[in-house]
Amino acid sequence: MLKDVAVDIQSVTKIYKTGKKEFKALNNVSLKIYNGDFLAFMGPSGSGKSTLMNLIGCLDRPSSGEIYIHGQSLSKLNDNQLAEIRSKEIGFVFQDFNLIPSMTALRNVILPMTLSGSPRSAREQNAMSLLKKVGLDNWAKHLPTELSGGEKQRVAIARAISNNPLIVLADEPTGNLDTKTGEQILKFLSSLNKEGKTILLVTHDSSLIKYTNRVINIKDGEISEKK
Amino acid sequence: MISDIFIMSLDALRSHKIRTFLTIVGIIIGISSVIIVTTSGASVEKFIEDQWNVFDPTGMVVGTGSAEPIPQISFGKTVFTDKDVENLKNLPHVRDVAPVGIVPLKKISQKEGFLKWISMPGGSMFASSSAMLDVLSLKIKEGRIFEEGKKEILVTENMLNIFGEDKELKVGDEIYLQRLDGIPIKSKIVGIIKASEDFNILSQLTTPSILGPINPYYSTFFGSNVGKPLKRVTAYGMLYATASDKASIEIAKNEILDFLNSGNSDAINYKQKNVDFVVISQEYILDRVQQILNAVTMLITIIALVSLIVGGVGIANIMYATVTERTREIGTMMAIGAKRRYILQLFLFQSMIVGFLGGILGCILGGSGSVLVVSYLGSYVEQLASGAYTGKIFVVYSWEWFIISLFFGIVIGILAGILPARKAAKMDPVEALHYQ
Repeated sequence: MLKDVAVDIQSVTKIYKTGKKEFKALNNVSLKIYNGDFLAFMGPSGSGKSTLMNLIGCLDRPSSGEIYIHGQSLSKLNDNQLAEIRSKEIGFVFQDFNLIPSMTALRNVILPMTLSGSPRSAREQNAMSLLKKVGLDNWAKHLPTELSGGEKQRVAIARAISNNPLIVLADEPTGNLDTKTGEQILKFLSSLNKEGKTILLVTHDSSLIKYTNRVINIKDGEISEKK
Repeated sequence: MISDIFIMSLDALRSHKIRTFLTIVGIIIGISSVIIVTTSGASVEKFIEDQWNVFDPTGMVVGTGSAEPIPQISFGKTVFTDKDVENLKNLPHVRDVAPVGIVPLKKISQKEGFLKWISMPGGSMFASSSAMLDVLSLKIKEGRIFEEGKKEILVTENMLNIFGEDKELKVGDEIYLQRLDGIPIKSKIVGIIKASEDFNILSQLTTPSILGPINPYYSTFFGSNVGKPLKRVTAYGMLYATASDKASIEIAKNEILDFLNSGNSDAINYKQKNVDFVVISQEYILDRVQQILNAVTMLITIIALVSLIVGGVGIANIMYATVTERTREIGTMMAIGAKRRYILQLFLFQSMIVGFLGGILGCILGGSGSVLVVSYLGSYVEQLASGAYTGKIFVVYSWEWFIISLFFGIVIGILAGILPARKAAKMDPVEALHYQ
């Protein structure tokens, strides 16, 4: 059975210009990511893996080439439409957690639902069940500053999946955590993958690839598949 | 959606209470200054209007002095004769004219028994015609008006107890009025003037405590014989006049001036060449006072508005700092689905709320501060009047300034927020996410 394509990257090149200097961050990259993949992007810093994540996450546009998410071409979309794709189709997990410091854990999880305009009545209940899922329902009313790193990242994961997106982008999610906590986070992402979500993980920790089913190496803006 | 953004803006402000408060303070100071200045202006204006209410609204003062640039009457030069008074009365738009004969008194005395006198130092009495009552809007409470040529007087209600509570004067009593020349005139009280309801500085100056006929009180010893020697002429330094109605005040004023300057008047012969006839209407004085007050209020209001603008710059400054400080948050919000529009609204709402809260609190502070300022002005006026009863300054709020200020506060808030909010909305999400 042929799996559905979640993200289709076709001959994408990304060039950054700083003054007169040009820097080719991605060079003619093509890649198909299927629904249900747990895929790791690996490579040294500056290799272009973050650039690729930004492009897949609709935060940036390629200099040339085309990206399709669930069959939809991104190049024809304006800023508002890209924001809507980010809101509904993609969940972000960051290395630094990036929780809003003035909001409680619960409000942080509610935020994407607010921004996507989902019905107000369902928001809090959804957010509570997500916090329960990551084991933090007792911490709902606490501010991020009162949580440990692992707890913050679990709140961030709950936030990432609150609009029930099919794709979760995790950019070095264990980078600021100790090994044991990092493993917990990976196990959690793995369980989400088993529920059917496509997980794209950026890491340079090779010990984490045991959770993934595909590994893409990136070096100098070019990719090669390993696993 | 927009209400969600609004709530998020409130939360953001709430999470930085001290910073928010300090930003609001700038607006509070600006708004409350505007309110205090405009309220004090309106209160003083009302107070001064009340001071002048003692006259008939069509009342005017006729005298000599300088007409230009600002009409001024210099008292003391007696030039208007009884014939002038009669002629002025006959002008088409003049209702009535009263001569003002001021008679300084040395003593006011009452005979208590054989060789026993009780005396009070006298002020001065007014000698005039019955027209004086009309011009000053005075009412006789008891008794009747004096007759010309008789030693009859009217006294005001508040004069009745001058010899003591137990020796209250009444209609029919006789008192002795001793003029500066020393001769006491035995005078019969024939009527009592009702005390003015609007009791204030001016009513104290203008309402005579004792009012009698020209003859014998004024004409006998106070005459002007300028011009032809040997002929004694009764003349006055000042006349009170009224116009036939409020619309005719200017016409009446011009008729009076035209007549006096025409050569048909006696006054033109008695006055010195370098002085002018001057007619000052109550309306004119009120207008002048209002003009000056408006100018002063305007000036201070502009200064207050400048402080409001400074407050606005304060908001803009803080909003810029906030946007920069929250760059990563902005990037995060964009990543999790916030449209640029929402980011713009988020920050605009914040600065608008600051402006609005500053406006509301400024109005409250200004409104209550005005009470203090106006009561201070009141005690200052009392001090100026050194004990004389002046009437009260009441707080008169000019509500339109509350609305203008509140509106201005919100507008300043929005204007101050536009640039920072645009900066936030235009951020590149990738750069914002990696901002350190």
